[in-house]
Amino acid sequence: MEESTRRLRTLDFFMGVGFAAIGLYVAIDGYRIFISPDLAAVERPANPGVTTMFIGGMLALLGLIIAVIGFIGSKTPLRNAKQAIPETLRKPTFLKGIIAMACIAVYFFVLWGRIPYVISTFIFLAGIMFIFKAGAWWKIFIISGVTVAIVWYVFGVLAMVPLP
Amino acid sequence: MSFEQILFEVLRTLNLEYILLIAAGTLIGLIVGALPGLTTTMGIALLTGITFKFSGHAAIALLMGLYVGGVSGGSLSAIMIGIPGTPANAASVLDGFPLAMAGKGAKAITVSRSASILGTLFGIMCLAFFTPILSNLALKFTSAEFCLLGLFGVLISGTMSGTDLAVKGWIAGIFGLTIAMIGIDELTAWHRLTFNSPELTGGLPFIPIMIGFFGIPQVVEALSAEQDVLVATLDKSKTKLMEVLRHWKVALRSGLIGVGIGIIPGIGEDVAAWVSYGVAKKASKHPEQYGKGSIEGLVAAETADNSCIGGAIIPLLSLGIPGSPPAAVLLGAFLIHGVRPGPMLNFEFPAFLYQSVAWLLVATLFMRFMALGLARPMQKILTIKNAILMPIVAVLCAIGAFSLDIRYIDIVLVFLSGALGILFRKGKYPPAPLVLGIILGPLVDTNFRRALKASGGNFSIFITRPIALVLFISIIVLILGQLGVFAAIKSKFRRIKQTT
Repeated sequence: MEESTRRLRTLDFFMGVGFAAIGLYVAIDGYRIFISPDLAAVERPANPGVTTMFIGGMLALLGLIIAVIGFIGSKTPLRNAKQAIPETLRKPTFLKGIIAMACIAVYFFVLWGRIPYVISTFIFLAGIMFIFKAGAWWKIFIISGVTVAIVWYVFGVLAMVPLP
Repeated sequence: MSFEQILFEVLRTLNLEYILLIAAGTLIGLIVGALPGLTTTMGIALLTGITFKFSGHAAIALLMGLYVGGVSGGSLSAIMIGIPGTPANAASVLDGFPLAMAGKGAKAITVSRSASILGTLFGIMCLAFFTPILSNLALKFTSAEFCLLGLFGVLISGTMSGTDLAVKGWIAGIFGLTIAMIGIDELTAWHRLTFNSPELTGGLPFIPIMIGFFGIPQVVEALSAEQDVLVATLDKSKTKLMEVLRHWKVALRSGLIGVGIGIIPGIGEDVAAWVSYGVAKKASKHPEQYGKGSIEGLVAAETADNSCIGGAIIPLLSLGIPGSPPAAVLLGAFLIHGVRPGPMLNFEFPAFLYQSVAWLLVATLFMRFMALGLARPMQKILTIKNAILMPIVAVLCAIGAFSLDIRYIDIVLVFLSGALGILFRKGKYPPAPLVLGIILGPLVDTNFRRALKASGGNFSIFITRPIALVLFISIIVLILGQLGVFAAIKSKFRRIKQTT
């Protein structure tokens, strides 16, 4: 079996376990709703727990299937994961992806709403363009400035969105 | 509604304002489609956030223009740089790029544009013809049929849109259905999966999830894999529509394939293009030319993906079930703007189908003039670095989601669904079934319980009505087929035959 397929099956195992756990939780929650005394007056077939149990059960079952497929395909998922994680962490593409995600997280969770929108967006745009070497500093400043101005005008002025 | 009244309604929504909006939508679509990394689905999701303050029909007209432009625009980058602008145009790279590299870039673009026009027109024709028929049929549907149809849509989308195991597509669809259950139950007002959070009481809004799910993974992926782009130069040669019509058999077959695949819930233009390309190659007298700059191959791919637009809108308008991922986001936009597609649409907005047909025709007309005119400026635009473009997309994702309800929770949702989208991509889980699951969740949930309630809790309601029985058998066949049951039976029969 190819290394990439083995890695995919390892991921399948873990994601399958995750989906099965979510499905199980949803199904149990559905059962709780189904037997809830607060819904005793509701006809059994119309009980909201019915679909919740059904969908949750299906998700759990399918998650289990994919986990088994992943386990058979990867043979030793835990050992494979132990081996793959340090290798992935060293990959430049992975690191770039993490940096990009971190920049977006900073913009969404730290800058958004704490400082005026125009300034926070300019900081985000200029910052991420600097990090990913988009060009000369003056080009980055101009592009960031023009973008912020357009977004502010379209959303803040024309669409009258109360920007944070 | 009389013919005159319908005509009046259609003309009312074809004034200068609408025409300019459709032109703007088509132009944005062509650009969004042409830029690798920005898909039509993402473009519609982003623009829905931007156009939420427009009057309902005007916003929908603009988004339909974007749909037409987006699918067609992807061929520009497929031909000029060998990278499909959208997944729908991946098959066009095979013959479009070799043609451009051989110095026939303009010819390839005109062929692709003409094929796109033929495909879109064929799709629109089918849309106008089949939607009323399907709508009338849908009036006979009860809760049992709607529930099974929703489930069938999610499962078939999972089966056909995946690149790895079909089970992954099903998981994506069922996970979408699970997400759709969050919030207050429609029938009993009971809080489900809300974790006592007031933000989750109203359920998870569809558009921010879509923006994050399609936008953020694309931003992260494009930023982590910056690559140099080789842009083909354009010659002066042009191809007339008549030259493309020489391949009318290929175009007609591809149009039918496109519409057929478009009607199947959740399967998009990309599948249509690949299937059509494969069929055309098999049927061709010169299959050896395919992949080396075959005009026939380019016509097959481009006609199919564009005719899929009309096909995908047929179930959207008649059943309220989208035929492709862009149509799924379009459905979200419809609902935001007060248009509820389905069998009752014909009664609530009797002229809407014909207005849609008119908007799509106008968009096709604009596409005809814009595609080649845009090719030369696009040579420059296509060289824009991802490091410049993608941060701007991230900003639009945030503001697009925020402007819908002015809630910070939507920004959080964009981020979380973006992270989920990345995980889905890594694990090769197709995104289309998830989208369809979220969209069809309320339909499946409420109709499942309504059907059970009507039958007094008897599950036989799902097999005793003719249409329900057909759908039920289709679901069982679909599942058994994917589990390899039929293949096993077939091989067993073969073995028995050999021994006897």
